[in-house]
Formats: sequence, C-alpha cells, structure tokens
Amino acid sequence: MGDEKIDTRLLNELTVQSQDLNSDAVRITHDALGEFTEQEKERSAKRRWSPAAVIAGLVGVGGLVGAGRAAAATDSNDIMALQTAASIENLAVSVYTTAAGLPFIKSGNATVAAFITKTTAQHTAHGQAFNAAITAAGGKTQTGPDPKYAAVVQQALPTIKAPADVVKLAITLEDVAAQTYTKNVGQVSDASLRKLFGSVAPVEAQHRAVLLAVQALLAGNAAQLIAIPTMPAQLPAAAGSVGFPDSFYATTSASPVSEGAVR
Amino acid sequence: MSSGKKWELAVSEAELSSMTRDLDEAHRETIPTMFAQAEDFSEELADRRGESGIVARRRFLMGAGAAGLGLALVACGAGSNSGSSAATTTKAAPSSAGSPYTGDLKVVALATALENQAIAAYTAALTAATAGKLGAVPAAVGTFAKTAMAQHADHAKAWNAVLTSAGKPAITGVPLSGQPAVQQALGSVTNVGDVAKLALQLENQAAQTYLFAEFNVTSAGGIATAASIAPVEAMHAAVLQFVLGQYPVPDNFLATDMAASPSTLTV
Repeated sequence: MGDEKIDTRLLNELTVQSQDLNSDAVRITHDALGEFTEQEKERSAKRRWSPAAVIAGLVGVGGLVGAGRAAAATDSNDIMALQTAASIENLAVSVYTTAAGLPFIKSGNATVAAFITKTTAQHTAHGQAFNAAITAAGGKTQTGPDPKYAAVVQQALPTIKAPADVVKLAITLEDVAAQTYTKNVGQVSDASLRKLFGSVAPVEAQHRAVLLAVQALLAGNAAQLIAIPTMPAQLPAAAGSVGFPDSFYATTSASPVSEGAVR
Repeated sequence: MSSGKKWELAVSEAELSSMTRDLDEAHRETIPTMFAQAEDFSEELADRRGESGIVARRRFLMGAGAAGLGLALVACGAGSNSGSSAATTTKAAPSSAGSPYTGDLKVVALATALENQAIAAYTAALTAATAGKLGAVPAAVGTFAKTAMAQHADHAKAWNAVLTSAGKPAITGVPLSGQPAVQQALGSVTNVGDVAKLALQLENQAAQTYLFAEFNVTSAGGIATAASIAPVEAMHAAVLQFVLGQYPVPDNFLATDMAASPSTLTV
C-alpha cells in the first residue's frame, strides 16, 4: 500500500466536480424530505380530526388510546426504520473515522485514504438525511450506532492489522446498509421515504463495489492500480466484474427495522 | 490484457467458464427470490386493474415529464474532443396510442426496454472490440462488459416474466425513441473510453429510472424489484467511472434527473 500513484490535485478537482454534480442529488433528497415534512403535517392534522379520533372521543378514553395506537402503528414503523438507518450510518462514520487515523492508512495508498474521507462525508450526509426525516415525523433522532454491528466492529477491531482488514470490515457495513435500505424501500409507508431510502441504497452499493475491487487488487498484490486515474490496461480481468457479484441486490442480511430503533 | 488490434479476452475459456460458474453460484440465492417477487408482482397487477394503476401511470408520467429527460449522448465520434460537455438530447416521441402497456405495466415495459438497450449496447461494443475497431481493449473492460450484459439480461428476463404473466407481449427489442441516437453513437465510437462514456450514461439512466419507479409505481412487487436492481446498475456505473479515471462514487444520493420517461417508449 506504500506506493502513491494518485495525482492528488486531480482527485481534488474530481471531488469538486462531484460536489457540483452532487448538488442536484442533494436537492432531490431535500425535496423528498420537504415532501415528507409536509405530508407529516397533513397527517398530523388528519389524526387530530380523523373519524377514528372523533369516535374514540365519543366512546371514551379507552377508545381514544386504541385509536392513537392504530394511528401511530404505521408511523412508528417508518420512524424505527429511519432510526435503524441512522444508526448504521453513525457506525459507518465511526469506523471510517477510526480507520482514517490508523498509521497504515495515513501513510498508505492515498486513493484509499481519499476514499475513506469522501465516504465518511457521504455517510454523514446520509445520517443527517435520515435524522431530518425522523425529526419531521416527530420521532427521536438516532445518534448512536447500530447495536448488532457495533458488536461486530468491536470484535473485529483487535484483528485489524492492515488495509485489507479495514476493507473487509467496511464491505460488511456497506453491504448491510445497502441491503437494509433496499428492503426498507418496500417496507415504509410513504413514497417520499421510499425516495429517500432508494436514493441512498445505490450509493452504499457503489461503496461496496469499490471496496470489493480494492480488496481484489490488494489480494492480487496490485495495490499500485488502486489509483485515480488507474491504468485500465494493467487491471486483471477479474477486476472488471468483482465489484458487482449479483444481478439483483439481496436483502437476506437486511437489518430489521427495529434493530437500531431508539429505545 | 490484450494489446493487439484484434481483441480477445485475456482469460482462457476454462477460466471464463469458472468465473461464470462462480457468478452463477452467487446469483443462485438472489435470482429465484427475484423471480418469485416478479410472480407476486404479476398476481398483484392482475388483482387490481383500473384506478390505482391509472393514478400510478399519471404520477409517473407527470414526474418524469418534470424531470425533462432524454438520453444525453456524449460526442463519441473520432476526433471529438468535446468530452462530456458536448451533449445532444434525444427528443421524447409521443407514446404510441393503444399501447398494450398501461399503468405499472408501462413502467415495466420501459424497464425491459432499457435493459434490452444496455444488452444491445454491450453486444455491439463487444462485437466492435472483437473486430479490432476499438483498438486495444483492457481485459478488465471486456470482463466488465460481459458480466454487466449478463446481469442486464437477468433483469430483462425478470421484467418480461411480469409482462407475459400479465398477458402482455414480452419486450424483445429496444422500443425507445432514443435508440437511433444510441445506435448512431455506438457506430461512431473508436476507442474504449468512448464506449465506457456511453455505457456510463445508460447505466446511470437505468439506475435513476428505477429510483423514480420506486416512488411512483403502486404495486409492492414492482417497488421491491426496482429497488433490488437500482443498486446493481449503480455498481456498474461506479466501475465505469473508475475505468474512466473519475471518482467512482461522485454523489451522496442517487438523483433522478436522468431517469427515462415512459413517453419515450414507442410501443
């Protein structure tokens, strides 16, 4: 990992370009959050004046509680999904931040270090978007890590001795994030939340694709090819396909919506 | 890696077969699930005909219209140095009257057409490479094209299963108003970089169209199927960005400004 093949000025330029491109995507996600906030306000108003609430008021306190539970059931599922998503993002930010400080990352391949920096910022943006949606829905924001995968990280930390170990752990986190959000798209009750989860899942999948390629290049003693721009002619044939092993993104390892819910 | 004019994959047939086998094994867990999901989708569509489908179609058409899409093709011809800034936009042809595809099925037909478009593009690129028209083709690029093409074929197969289960004709060609422009662009490419730029646009368009479908179609099966494909197209795009010397994950969130409109469907 010691070879520094990257033109850092180019990477900076590319990052600026990508930030410009990204402004559209950020706008779209903000639109989704805006729509969600408006819909939440409308739902809140309807809840106060819904026939169920009126009937509950007529039949007494017991009925009111029941109606409240019924009204909250769908929303709480959405909020839990958002909290779990935020918890996964928080853990990812924590892991990448820790990784960035490791000596063999700081003094290693500059492209890997730049990827970690950029990916940390992207996960931070995702966490902020999920927490903004939680706030819009009237829920409690999630500032902690996903408990299941925090334990996995704790277990893995003592074994991390080289960049390949960091990459392996990151692949696990990116995959669970992508799988969870892919599944969440079909689980949440609101189109604007589908838009939010659906706009984040592919980005986590892209992180995984890059990491799978990096993992293969490290394993093949071709770390010098982990560079932007790379040298396509020197890439091994398998590097062209190792980043996307499946035709359909699986959801079998998706976290349940309650996994990272705020208790 | 091949450096000759006539390109061949730098792996033996045995190695390629082994890689394909590995991929097939990797797919084994996901593909049956997806086809089961597609079957559920077909049943769901069969159960509900009428208003909800019309509403879904209306929402999709309105939204995509607002996005103002068409495929922006980079100038890929020889001698062009205009790069990605020089783009032409194909005009969306009006949707053909009396289409057998309505409601969510129109979105399914669009998805199938986009998958077929990608398959056709990769097929043409591989043919051109084999004929030596693209110069030296890196082995990794050849593997990418073959694998991505196979995955697009899986996607098309899943969507066509939905169409035929619903009693609609399968989409076997590329009935998209922008296809002539894509074919023209493919016909003028002279190097791998041009092909990769074109493929990147097709992959981004597909990923964004699926995202748009996720919050505009109404059937649960359709939403789940689109959600499971969008990340794969985005992964293809990431690898292409890397090959092109660009940062592979440029955006924090997937956008929809390049999503294809159902109005570009010509059947």
